[in-house]
Amino acid sequence: MDYILTTNELTKQYGSYKASNEVSIHVQRGAIYGLIGRNGAGKTTLMKMIGGLSRPTSGSYEIRGKNGETTEKMMSKVGILIEAPGLYPNMTAMQNLTTKAIALGIKDKKYLMGLLEEVGLADTGKKKAKQFSLGMKQRLGIAMALVNKPELLILDEPINGLDPQGIAEMRNILHHLCYDRGITILISSHILDELSKVATQYGIIHEGTLLEEESKEELFSKCCERLELKTNDISKTLEILNAMGFSKIEVKDDAINIYERLNESGAITIALAKENVQTNEIALKTEALEDYYFQLTGGKENV
Amino acid sequence: MFNLIKMNLYRMSRAVSTWVIAIITVCFAFMQFGSLKLIFDDPFNMFDGSASSMVSFDRLDGVSAVSTFLQNSNVLIILAVFVVLFANAEHKCGFDKNLIGLSKNRWKQTLARWISAVIGMTALIAVGFGVMFGLTALFVDAFTLGSAVAMFKSLGLMYLGAVAFSAIFFFFTTLFNNSVGGVVSSLVISLGIFSLIEMLLDMAVKKIFSSPKVLPTDIFYDSVFMNFSHADASTKAILIFAGISVAYIALSLFGSMMLQQKRDVK
Repeated sequence: MDYILTTNELTKQYGSYKASNEVSIHVQRGAIYGLIGRNGAGKTTLMKMIGGLSRPTSGSYEIRGKNGETTEKMMSKVGILIEAPGLYPNMTAMQNLTTKAIALGIKDKKYLMGLLEEVGLADTGKKKAKQFSLGMKQRLGIAMALVNKPELLILDEPINGLDPQGIAEMRNILHHLCYDRGITILISSHILDELSKVATQYGIIHEGTLLEEESKEELFSKCCERLELKTNDISKTLEILNAMGFSKIEVKDDAINIYERLNESGAITIALAKENVQTNEIALKTEALEDYYFQLTGGKENV
Repeated sequence: MFNLIKMNLYRMSRAVSTWVIAIITVCFAFMQFGSLKLIFDDPFNMFDGSASSMVSFDRLDGVSAVSTFLQNSNVLIILAVFVVLFANAEHKCGFDKNLIGLSKNRWKQTLARWISAVIGMTALIAVGFGVMFGLTALFVDAFTLGSAVAMFKSLGLMYLGAVAFSAIFFFFTTLFNNSVGGVVSSLVISLGIFSLIEMLLDMAVKKIFSSPKVLPTDIFYDSVFMNFSHADASTKAILIFAGISVAYIALSLFGSMMLQQKRDVK
């Protein structure tokens, strides 16, 4: 497997509190790796360490197979947008980009204009960053992260606070950067539904610990469809379903979840009616990523 | 490093605070000129301010013009405020996050910021001094250039003092990571609150040692600056002043660079 980034038991400890606890992630080249976790789960801490903003208490990370902390050339291939974008409010979008470009010795104005075009800010002219909407600031933050021509882009909650249009624009930008420019993206969000639309690899992090790391296919196979059945007699309903040959059944609260032969809702209803069992509700439901996440992290009270 | 300095100068030239402070510095230069002019136009020597104590009344030379401008505590404070605002701007808006992870030698960014701040300060001093010097030469009849060597020596030492003074502020701004911390500590120093502490330390040292060769006031910046600023300052006082100034610059800069190198970015 071709990994652009691997972390090896990366730990950040503040006093006795471990904000990141021996986290080992493996980001494939060309992937959009979604870090899922609630606020305070340790996503930002992990990203700050990988982005070189904070030093790990222990553990290490490798970018393109080389130690990320000690190899300057490796770090220069990483673009970061952690929390709020770092912009000079009294400067225009182009001036902000130019400031970073000067520091990196980049003189190509056309390249910078190209970056603004990529994020849809080419026509902002003399408008200052402080007059930008949140979505525009986030997009400019991404353009800033792209100035040093990164191979790995680290984006911490880039869709946080955006309106639906802003979220859609951000999604398009991420797809463009990943699929057209071949940039690997490590993105965090607690908006799981939105993350599920862009990420191809997932790491689920909770209380500083990585709970699971899997591909989109693996994760989505766990977030499967089911028939949710509610009747006036659960025990009799289970007997009938067993007699019909259903085995992948689970009773949850006042409902029975059926995970097989999902197109047989009609037959189930008729069989129940013949045995005088009243069907109150039968519906095809999909367990969302969110439900799976809640199940993994111990329930909604943790969010 | 050169690119980082260029970047800092680019952002400095586009910062509103730079231009506001430049205007204030020019205003101070006008005010200094005004007080000098009043002294020379006053036949009965009624003015008894700090400016009048620095100049004689029969003639005004270049050294005196330098002294009246750069020994003005207002000018020193506004220069320090410039350094504080400039040093903190990158962190305040979060721009430092765009660059800090790209280099393992983070201290270079602090050094570049400091060098850029000194370049900015130099420009501000040059503008302010130029305005005052020009106005004085044009409108004060008793003005004579005097010894150019003496004037540039005086200007150089004053400049060194101003740079050392602002280095302390630069360090406090880096330490507290905000301009309020930098400004408050600046005011504490410039208002002479430390003088009392220095006196108490002197007394303590004198009690412990019967005839100490060095007292705390000999190395504290404000007292060294006071000794040096006397019109008849000895060569020894000048050398002590220059040495202490360089030491303050080196310590403040080293401290700031180490903080940047070791500290996590919030």
